[in-house]
Amino acid sequence: MRIEFASPGAVSSGACVVGVVAGRRLCPTAEELDGREVLTRAMAASPRFTGAEAQTLTVMAPEGLACSRVVLVGLGAVEDMDGRRARTLGGTIAALLSTSGETHADVALDLDDGRTMATGTDLLAELALGLRLRAHRTLSGYRTRHDPDEDTTPTLTTVTIRTDHPEALHLVWQKLAPVAEGVILARELTAEPANHLTPESFITRIRAMSDLGLTLEVLDENALARQGLGLLLAVGQGSRHRPRLAVVRWQGAEDPDEPPVVLIGKGITFDTGGLSLKHGESVHEMKGDMAGAATALGVLRGLAGRGANVNAAAVLPLAENMPDGGATRPGDVVRSYAGLTVEIVDTDAEGRLILADALAYARKTLRPRVMIDLATLTGAIITTLGRHHAGLFSPDDALAARLVALGTEVGERLWRMPLLGPEVDEDMRSDIADLKNASHERLVPDALDAARFLQRFVEPGDDTAGAPTPPWVHLDVAGVTENDEDTPLAPKGPTGFGVLLLDRLIGRYYEGG
Amino acid sequence: MKITLAKPALPSEGAVIVGVLEGRTLTASAADLDARADGALTRAMAASRFEGKKEQTLQILSPHGLEATRVLLVGLGKAADIDALVMQGFGGTVVAQLSGSGETTAAILVDPIEGSPLGAGDMAANVAYGARLRSYRFDKYRTKEKSEDKPSLKKVIVHVAEQAAARRTHEPLEKVAEAITFTRDLVSEPANVIYPESFAAATKTLADLGVEVEVLGEKQMRKLGMGALLGVGQGSDRESQLVVMRWNGTGTKKSQPVAFVGKGVTFDSGGISLKPGPGMEDMKWDMGGAAVVTGLMRALAARKARVNAVGVVGLVENMPSGAAQRPGDIVTSMSGQTIEVLNTDAEGRLVLADALWYTHTQFRPRFMVDLATLTGAILISLGTSHAGLFANDDTLAERLQGAGKAVGEKLWRLPMGEEYDKQLKSDAADMKNIGGREAGSITAAQFLKRFVADTPWAHLDIAGVTWSKKDTAVVPKGSTAFGLRLLDRLIADHYEE
Repeated sequence: MRIEFASPGAVSSGACVVGVVAGRRLCPTAEELDGREVLTRAMAASPRFTGAEAQTLTVMAPEGLACSRVVLVGLGAVEDMDGRRARTLGGTIAALLSTSGETHADVALDLDDGRTMATGTDLLAELALGLRLRAHRTLSGYRTRHDPDEDTTPTLTTVTIRTDHPEALHLVWQKLAPVAEGVILARELTAEPANHLTPESFITRIRAMSDLGLTLEVLDENALARQGLGLLLAVGQGSRHRPRLAVVRWQGAEDPDEPPVVLIGKGITFDTGGLSLKHGESVHEMKGDMAGAATALGVLRGLAGRGANVNAAAVLPLAENMPDGGATRPGDVVRSYAGLTVEIVDTDAEGRLILADALAYARKTLRPRVMIDLATLTGAIITTLGRHHAGLFSPDDALAARLVALGTEVGERLWRMPLLGPEVDEDMRSDIADLKNASHERLVPDALDAARFLQRFVEPGDDTAGAPTPPWVHLDVAGVTENDEDTPLAPKGPTGFGVLLLDRLIGRYYEGG
Repeated sequence: MKITLAKPALPSEGAVIVGVLEGRTLTASAADLDARADGALTRAMAASRFEGKKEQTLQILSPHGLEATRVLLVGLGKAADIDALVMQGFGGTVVAQLSGSGETTAAILVDPIEGSPLGAGDMAANVAYGARLRSYRFDKYRTKEKSEDKPSLKKVIVHVAEQAAARRTHEPLEKVAEAITFTRDLVSEPANVIYPESFAAATKTLADLGVEVEVLGEKQMRKLGMGALLGVGQGSDRESQLVVMRWNGTGTKKSQPVAFVGKGVTFDSGGISLKPGPGMEDMKWDMGGAAVVTGLMRALAARKARVNAVGVVGLVENMPSGAAQRPGDIVTSMSGQTIEVLNTDAEGRLVLADALWYTHTQFRPRFMVDLATLTGAILISLGTSHAGLFANDDTLAERLQGAGKAVGEKLWRLPMGEEYDKQLKSDAADMKNIGGREAGSITAAQFLKRFVADTPWAHLDIAGVTWSKKDTAVVPKGSTAFGLRLLDRLIADHYEE
């Protein structure tokens, strides 16, 4: 779907989308179309349409107008319109029209009309972002037959957003469109089945992005062994598809030596649980256990696409967790990159293992300005926060507060959870190693235990002595990477949660030195 | 165990206990003992790993040059960090160390410590308080316990120069400690002893302290329309009760009260949605919230808190039987809202729904705080480190968190919102009583929120903290009475006139 910006003009032949303010007040463009009171009469016949936010009312084949339909969109109260609401409106329009049969839509909501509200360029760009995100159909390539009863093939090919400042809006959109592509990349990767997305093919996908200016360094099995990333190797050793560590870099800062913002993403391309095999009906969902890595890569995709003035890196531990004659057994003791030895009592608590090595490796080799890891880490976080917040763990109050505020702003909400200190290490004490990777007890706060486990690898270990301890945040996103129903900004399926959030964090606090 | 405050003196028998700061810095009394014992304390420390860190201990038996049978050194940590909690931990540690040692008397010597925010009088009061809290033992049903298994320690004397200050601080703490013992007993009692009517009878003992106690039986509750609460109890042979306790500490009934509501399921078998066997015995403490509310009312009255407070506890037993509530039943709550009971083991919220609505309509309180061992999900969310806090009022939530921090009963706030409330949608009634596995504690809180109207309200999910599997400095394993100290502190800090 192409998004264009144009000055207000004659209504074309496709769908025409106009705004209605709460209280059924037509926006100026809508009023212009209402010469024969077609819209007024349609509203009169629809008492439940009040102009409340994101309500819609469609008038087909409107009398005396060239367009094929007029869509009235409720804007709600316009005085406090903000980016999040504008995005939602865009998503609402996309949801309504993208598979409707229309090929073109004119969107003239008058959001930048002085008579309706003060300013609009950014708002309309956010609206375009919502359109783009909601209209994208994830992973459309695997359907080979057309099903007329359930036709989800998009028909809408172009959307023209009407504005008094098309050039200015175009410039803003150029900085935002790549972020949308980052979100879409994250969704696509998350949705890929595990026979199509393995550690190697994940790397291939990254390599294909080199023309954006992203550089890639890969540690294969031999390199991982040489460097001592024993935990990552242990998790991947049961699979034909051998583990990798990918380090993707965007060097956009004026000073090439500026320390990077480092994102670490859990990349388990499929999680069977290993010998601690998962059971149940939803194991197929474990193809999405690399959503953290997909998001980290999506953020880099956005930064590169918009030429962000910052140095950033994504460190992606990639592995497939399979049961096998050569797989890690419960009870195995493995030496980590940081030097700590871990008794792997549960091979299904594997995310924390690969992240532990990736965090320690990132800290030692990249000297990050800040480290943020994202992981579909625990079922416990879903029991705690459900589908509406990701769990945030950090020892850094200021950084945590920033992220929570940004999450609310972009609609990717975070809730801070307690990061417990050494007082809980007893639960993870091993009889023979420095620590074990899970507590054996029933009803344990596994999300908290996992966060504390990770923290032990963010502190200097014997093999990372001397490496500084950067500010660190852990996001447990297990509950928010997939939607089981449509939402304003994403159809059912992967969400790409975290890309918008982290792009804004970087844009607001780390870009330009 | 008798715990008293006394003027400084060197004991001529038993154990003598002194504090040591981090870095092996002796307090004044410790230095005095060390001098009398020809440096035995210093030499013993040098030969051990004892560094004076918080709650570290070192014992020196039959110390040279002293009449005492042993010297116990207790680490206090850094002087600047010594607060009430550290001193309570000191007292608790002494009891834990000596209770079964064979020693019958312990003399704790407390000195002013330079750099500590606490005066010596406050220190001593908190040491005594901590010792009292830790000395709790529920042993009434042990009829054949060998004498060597029983606690030997009979007397703890806390010596300090600042007697007046120590007694002033100690007096209310002692009352709170007594209330905690009362609560712990209620919770520890098995369900054949504590059931709705016997629990209600126990609340009547509060009348001696000036608390007005009113007990509503099933007939009265039916008249009030408490269909949600009554449905839970209908499978049991025991009659459900609602107890209303009122403490008017301001002297006028006009002052708007603060209110506390407790879940009191005296035994929770799950009902027809029967729980699995292993661990079901724990469900005798599913009335922990009600026991804390009752103990709190007792503490407020005993220390004559200048506040008007209401405590309401809903008491039921949840049992399967031919008369029990069935999954799928729809009940009408006192508020008029209908509830589809899809799982009879999500019963706490049904009891609280009517208790909260009753409290709200009857008293129009300044705020309501409910306590409930409500969800297993809160254990998976927060473990045993924090209770879950849910609120519709930020100020109340912040005050609760502050009070919790001050007394060592920590709360962690969890989110609420429309999007979670949707999980309670029922096909047949205004709501269903379960919201699914996801966000299980949050949806339980959303359920309760539908019964508080516009009253400022907070809900404490204490399922993870009401019963402890391990000893901590001031709480022996078993019933913790979590929430009592916290709410007493909340009132003392913000709501007393």
